[in-house]
Amino acid sequence: MWEALEHVHWVTVLGSTGWMYELVSVIHYFSTFFFIGTIMLVDLRILGIADRNQVISQLVDQLVPWTWIGFGFSIVSGFLEFATDAGDYSTVNPFRVKMLVILLGVIFALIVQWNVPKWNRLPVIPVGAKILASISLLLWVGSILAATELPALTGLG
Amino acid sequence: MYGALVAFCKFLEGSPWGTFVRTTDWGYPLIQVIHFSGLSLWLGTNITVDLRLLGIGKRRQTAAQLSSGLFVWNWIGLCILVLGGFLLFSSTATTYVTNPAFRMKLGVLVPVALFWHLVVQQKTRVWGQAQEALPMGKLAGLIELLLWISVVTAAVLIPNY
Repeated sequence: MWEALEHVHWVTVLGSTGWMYELVSVIHYFSTFFFIGTIMLVDLRILGIADRNQVISQLVDQLVPWTWIGFGFSIVSGFLEFATDAGDYSTVNPFRVKMLVILLGVIFALIVQWNVPKWNRLPVIPVGAKILASISLLLWVGSILAATELPALTGLG
Repeated sequence: MYGALVAFCKFLEGSPWGTFVRTTDWGYPLIQVIHFSGLSLWLGTNITVDLRLLGIGKRRQTAAQLSSGLFVWNWIGLCILVLGGFLLFSSTATTYVTNPAFRMKLGVLVPVALFWHLVVQQKTRVWGQAQEALPMGKLAGLIELLLWISVVTAAVLIPNY
């Protein structure tokens, strides 16, 4: 199935046209680092080491829409890059690990976001919240590591 | 002048850190993580304020409040980013310094974008006071957004040369 995707006409055009692929890469890099940055800032706020003068929900409300818009651009551009070499990407473990880490990161980002209204009402941010925020932070830095290891280990991307 | 630059690049390549990044399997990806994590903080803090200056998205905070709140991690992000970048550069400095895309990125685009960022950060204290977006603020935010996109574009093009 993935092998077949590589040979679909628009995918081959994308994969073989330099400026098109580079444009998709720029979108992927820019949106990825931007949305991960917004998640990091929320996690750092919950850990109490960023923007401490601001009520948590104020910062989170401002950042969260951009997290998911950025994530959307990242997923779509990432899928386009994947498509151009889908047969190879889909078979290598480093790529599977990257997808798994991203999935876990999304789950923890959502858990953090859903709990912010509750944590906001408490006089002190609970330890559990800080643990969740730390895990989220580690997972997203981990996703960057998985992404940089992918070309190092497989030559892909 | 150029001779001194090349000599400095060779020095960096031969340094313990340059050698480490270049010769170990995991050195390069690890240092990229540092560079990209710093970049995430840098873009996360910058672009959020630019979008707020443009008047797009939620208005829970003014651009001035947002910029002020994110100020510390904006510059921490830059420090991490520059540290990672310096280590990456050190690994194969002599090839980077002759690369047109790298020269454009670090020689032209980054200084211009950084300078503009400083202007925006200062002026946002004034432009960003109101809930509604002011025309000057919108233009400034848009220019900054485009400048950082151009920096990323130059970076993406580095492997081509």
